[in-house]
Amino acid sequence: MRRSLKRMALGLSAVAVVGFTVAACGSSGSGSGSGSTATTAQKPTNCAAPENYCVGFVTDVGKIDDKSFNQSAWEGVKKAVAEQGVQADYIETVSQKDYATNIKTFLDQKYDLIITWGFLMGEATTKAAKANPKTTFIGGDQFQATTVPNLTGITFPEAKAGFLAGALAGYMTKSNKVGAVLGTNTVPPVVQFKEGYEAGAKYANPNISVKSTYHPGGADVAFTDPAFGADTAKQMLDQGIDVIFGAGGKTGNGALAETAKKAGAALCIGVDSDQWLTVPEAHPCLMTSAMKLITPGVQKLIAQAKDGTIKAGGFSGDVGLAPFHDFESVIPADVQQKITDLTAKVLSGEVPTGVKQ
Amino acid sequence: MTGATTAPDTPAPSGPRIDVGRWMRPALVPLVAIALGLLLGAILILSIGENPLDAYGAIIEGAFGSPDAVGRTLEKATPLVFGGLAVAFAFKGGLFNIGGQGQILIGAVFAAWAGFTFDLPTVIQIPFSLLVGGLAASLLGALVGWLKAVRGVHEVISTIMLNFVAANFTEWLVNTSGPFADPPATNPSNLARTPLINSSAEIPHIGGLPLGFFFSVVVATVCWWLLERTTLGFEIRTVGHNRHAAAYAGINVVLLTILVMTISAFLAGLGGAVETLGVTGRFEPGSNAFLGFAGITIALLARTNPLAVVPAALLIGALQAGTSLMQARTGVPPEIVDLIQAFILFFVAAPVVVLWIIRRRGQEEERLQLTTGWGG
Repeated sequence: MRRSLKRMALGLSAVAVVGFTVAACGSSGSGSGSGSTATTAQKPTNCAAPENYCVGFVTDVGKIDDKSFNQSAWEGVKKAVAEQGVQADYIETVSQKDYATNIKTFLDQKYDLIITWGFLMGEATTKAAKANPKTTFIGGDQFQATTVPNLTGITFPEAKAGFLAGALAGYMTKSNKVGAVLGTNTVPPVVQFKEGYEAGAKYANPNISVKSTYHPGGADVAFTDPAFGADTAKQMLDQGIDVIFGAGGKTGNGALAETAKKAGAALCIGVDSDQWLTVPEAHPCLMTSAMKLITPGVQKLIAQAKDGTIKAGGFSGDVGLAPFHDFESVIPADVQQKITDLTAKVLSGEVPTGVKQ
Repeated sequence: MTGATTAPDTPAPSGPRIDVGRWMRPALVPLVAIALGLLLGAILILSIGENPLDAYGAIIEGAFGSPDAVGRTLEKATPLVFGGLAVAFAFKGGLFNIGGQGQILIGAVFAAWAGFTFDLPTVIQIPFSLLVGGLAASLLGALVGWLKAVRGVHEVISTIMLNFVAANFTEWLVNTSGPFADPPATNPSNLARTPLINSSAEIPHIGGLPLGFFFSVVVATVCWWLLERTTLGFEIRTVGHNRHAAAYAGINVVLLTILVMTISAFLAGLGGAVETLGVTGRFEPGSNAFLGFAGITIALLARTNPLAVVPAALLIGALQAGTSLMQARTGVPPEIVDLIQAFILFFVAAPVVVLWIIRRRGQEEERLQLTTGWGG
């Protein structure tokens, strides 16, 4: 009895080893990817052919389904798949050292357009763009100091979006204390959100005190730590803060979820996309979100890339506050009016955020 | 059971009858652990509707399918070798070094500092920068060793705490206006990082293969030789097996404890230094994430044998290098690779599961003495 069990186990292991070796020798090109909801149904095939326009999306260190930053960009790609008839695939980056590798994986398969989504990927993207002039590149949150002919960097004036969020917080706070739970301060767009938020809060309410807390870790962990976001939010709520801005991928989402537990006594604001749609557990407190209008921006650029009208260099996307949804009735009409006026003035530059770019 | 019919000095066979040689038997647990880990990974991949053969095939191709890929795999494996050596070396001395992460960071940042501050000829610059990184990290080890030997502070606690200290300290060093920070002239986006090292400090690639990897193999061999072929190594291993017996035999346990932790930290720091000089070219917080902890997996997989650390590191390095292609070819998310590593670690660290499967009673070569710290 013992012998046969042991033989079976050894046999299993042997089969496994042999099986994997065979797979290595015999594996052909296409996989059968249809597992998660985030992928497109079909993997792009035969990208070298001129009639196939293949778009490769590389995330920064983070997840494709982070319910804000990466997800809204991927939504733009999916819309392009549906409406412009392109094919697309994504790779989630696990380590900052993998940027070049992941870009190269798409280059090797002759993708036509490669989108790298994240500020920290700027250097790797520029390098890849210069080395591969026939491929089009789009860099998200990547400011273009010099223009590379096949690279377009899409940036969003986060400070303005943060300013509007801060102003709303300033008008709505009852305790004169508001807070922000953020990703890392090593990523300038996050800092822009924070500085804008503080400036807007003080603009609306000069007596206000703002407490902003960054995640202490580096970019590799700062956007995927909802526990930290929740703990920090709880501390803030305990200190009497009654409006919390969650701006840091899943970390920020954790803060929103925690604030929602104090519904009625506390309010929260989301970031990047309309998080009312993506973070339902935040509904009890979510007034609005400081949005970078990423999805339409990305789709627009993909369409331009496909028909060759895309311009190299910098492209400025739009920002705005998301609809108030259920909080339409909670936010007083005069506050809503002030915000509407302020939005126009901030976007046009009439009211400066005062934040250094 | 054997019963009285068997002659007393002929024990009945209690395990598989394959005579695979003295060196193979200790390797049985790690090999079966790897197979089980891959098997569980395959089951998970199946459960999300993907084909595990495609996924594993993509990983293998992504890790070894081209000279470029091999170069990447070796690049990934190099810091894992050093991390594994650091942990394995400490284990040999009966100590559990969980501080590899912090030690790697310190080694990396100080090697970067030496790399961008000095511009000596390459033949001097590289060893010098590596030494600076290693020695800086070894200070952490010396502190931990001293605390343990003289004050009885368990190294698990002190090393974990120093990880936080090192992470925050290195981040402070490179944050804007920190002493090692990249000045605005070369750093328009104000990132937290050091300047690029001078080209004289770069560890070159030869034929696409990183020299750092071959250096790590040399260091692994030196470690093995030190532990197995010198008196010092003998003393270290004696302390590792039984501190009290070692003291009774006249070995200076205090000195050896400090020495072991210092060398262990030095190895980890060397790993960080090689990574900076050979791969990243500068220090950025967050770019050496989790390397120290991966070192623990490697050391356990290698059963603390310095030579076995190299193939273990190659395995884990290959898994990590192949993730990119796996994602592009199949819809399998990168977490699966982390899970496979975790399963392997689980089966190696809890060999009772593997041993039950292959029905061995845990003979001496399979038992692994890890740490005598807990009053053992």
